[in-house]
Amino acid sequence: MKYIGDRKFVGLKNYIKVFQRDDCFDALKLSLYYMLGSVVQLSLALYLATILSFKVKGGNIFKGFMFFPFLINGIAIGFIFKFFYTRGFVFDTVLQWCGFKLDNLPYWLRDQSINNFSLVGTSVWRYFGQNMVLFIGAIMSVDSELYEAAMLDGANKFQQFKYIIVPSIKTIITLNVILSITGSLSAFEPPYVITSGANGTGTYFVVMHEIAHTQQKVGLASAMAIVLLLIIFIVTIFQKLFFKYVFKNSEDEDPRAEVRRQRAIKRSIKRQQRLSAAGGK
Amino acid sequence: MTKKKVLSLLTAVAMAVTTMGCGATSETASTPDTQTTVEADAARGEVPSYTTLNLDDYKDFTASIKFVHHKTDREADGTMAAMIAEFNKEFPNITVTTEAVTDYAEDSLLRLSTGDWGDIMFIPAVDKSDLPTYFMPLDTLDNLSAKLNFVDNWQFNNVCYGIPYMANAQGVLYNKKVFADAGITQLPTTPEEFIADLELVKEKTDAIPLYTNYAAGWTMGAWDAYIGTVTNGDNAYLNQIFVHTAEPFADPGDGTGAYNLYKILYDACAQGLIEDDYTTTDWESCKGMLNRGEIGTMVLGSWAYAQMQEAGDSPENVGYMPFPMTVNGKQYVNAGGDYNYGINTNSSDENKTAALIFVKWMVERSNWCYNEGGYTVVKGGQNPDMYAAFDGCEVLADQPSIAGEETLLNDMNSESELSFNAGGNDKVQRIVEAGATGSETFDEIMADWTEKWQEAQEELGIEVKY
Repeated sequence: MKYIGDRKFVGLKNYIKVFQRDDCFDALKLSLYYMLGSVVQLSLALYLATILSFKVKGGNIFKGFMFFPFLINGIAIGFIFKFFYTRGFVFDTVLQWCGFKLDNLPYWLRDQSINNFSLVGTSVWRYFGQNMVLFIGAIMSVDSELYEAAMLDGANKFQQFKYIIVPSIKTIITLNVILSITGSLSAFEPPYVITSGANGTGTYFVVMHEIAHTQQKVGLASAMAIVLLLIIFIVTIFQKLFFKYVFKNSEDEDPRAEVRRQRAIKRSIKRQQRLSAAGGK
Repeated sequence: MTKKKVLSLLTAVAMAVTTMGCGATSETASTPDTQTTVEADAARGEVPSYTTLNLDDYKDFTASIKFVHHKTDREADGTMAAMIAEFNKEFPNITVTTEAVTDYAEDSLLRLSTGDWGDIMFIPAVDKSDLPTYFMPLDTLDNLSAKLNFVDNWQFNNVCYGIPYMANAQGVLYNKKVFADAGITQLPTTPEEFIADLELVKEKTDAIPLYTNYAAGWTMGAWDAYIGTVTNGDNAYLNQIFVHTAEPFADPGDGTGAYNLYKILYDACAQGLIEDDYTTTDWESCKGMLNRGEIGTMVLGSWAYAQMQEAGDSPENVGYMPFPMTVNGKQYVNAGGDYNYGINTNSSDENKTAALIFVKWMVERSNWCYNEGGYTVVKGGQNPDMYAAFDGCEVLADQPSIAGEETLLNDMNSESELSFNAGGNDKVQRIVEAGATGSETFDEIMADWTEKWQEAQEELGIEVKY
């Protein structure tokens, strides 16, 4: 089917083709690079957010610098990084200052074993600031008395992070992880602008765009989009289940937990009463 | 709770219905297919036809017209204004205002549908059957083609609706100084000679022998332009024979055909005769590099020649040669019109006449085509010096497709996903990747293309004749 012209009913043919073609699901494998990137991105964001939510010299300037890339247009970022990675340009020059020799440096975009990492790098650079700001916002809402109490109990900074900060901001962490994973599945701008999807960097979205607009197979591309939607649904549901498991100790996520807790309290009161009644005899 | 459920169910149903609507059959627009040449040509009304209009009879004609074009660079550097000043010396009472549109291919289509765009525009990609709706018939094909080249691009029922402002020939850009330094005295005429010359360039100079412009994408798709006339010596091949060929990518064994066209690229990549890091090439900066002699050759249409000349201090070193492929002892050059002038059919008769005067003057007297380095549109007109190397070559324009088969090539392009001359850049990029990294052999790629081509032929039910 093209954008213009007659329509013909083809049933599920396009959906079957999506699964038959190699390029569609091969492209989805590239999302693993981006998922790996999002792990790095979120840990970096969480780490910096924790540091920056306490008193740091020039904290606001750092926050500004790190958030700034998110405000730049994705296409512009693409062009910036195209030159950044060009042989002998910005990145190579900086590395040469650090003592690397140009001959030992890889071709960041030509070498098919690393070019996807280069692209993921741009995406991390762009989005970690936004994650960080979300984290800072959440960390700010933690009651500072908790830190004080923890300090009195002799908890070190890491324990504070593990037992106070992470449980308090887990909703935001879940949200960020879901957004990043969904984003990894639908990565588009870096490969499209920097390498135009060539040289083994064509993600699912780029392949979809190519099929819809160059090859004019709009029907097939639409089927690909629906398949991606279903994949994202499934992945999101899995993540929800995963987090339920990971955070099972803090029960707020689970509506039945409150009921259980109430029952437990009632039980213990009854036991107490029984005990005191027994003791009274 | 149930209310909510009902509501969400309704929303879902409504969404499903709207999506289904997208699949409905669109009504085919009624086309003036049945018009005869005479009827279509008569739609011009009182306005004379292109060939009957005598410019000298209209010196005092008064009108005010508007010209919408895509040459933003020429608008900015004053070339357009200078040409109009020249025009007004002959026709002082015709006022011409111009507007250069960036992103012309898309914007012009939108402007066209509003109807309110002016009097002259370069015809964007409309369906040929829609031509009479938007544009004034200029003349019959027979009358016009006696005087001008490449006018059949926008003809419908043998009536022409557009005249190209310049024409392009398909050859290879090279730097004369680099070639001289490498000791190349005779331009290559076969793929083997070409590769040998590239080797020489690599050995004896610091220049990049062949710059692929891989990253820009469309510059890779430019390789498709040589299929047909250049590779087979047959100007009917591309639009008439190609789709009916069972194995268009088989090796004919004599250094011709699409196989050997793309093999040049593969071999150059495999032998390291291209730029070091092809993934980060930059189109804008390659112009100056060719001009300065940092690049030996680039495979692009002649339209690029003027841009290469302007990009640096040594325009005299920029050269243009026919594609290094010889079919039966002869080199062929494929030429075709660039954008075409079209006149708004909804303008007043005065404006139409003034527009026709302007178009005729632009084509025949402005020298714009020559200045842009274009191949002459006027029959027997003077060609720029860059085409000197084309002497002795056969210059041919592609023949249009056979009536009733106009859409076949597009359908094949789409179905096979190879998209020749239609944005199929990734298939050529694949050759570069395979050549440079050795991931695939050239024959594997060609076999894969053939398979896709044959599957598409089967899918579309296209008869295989050749």
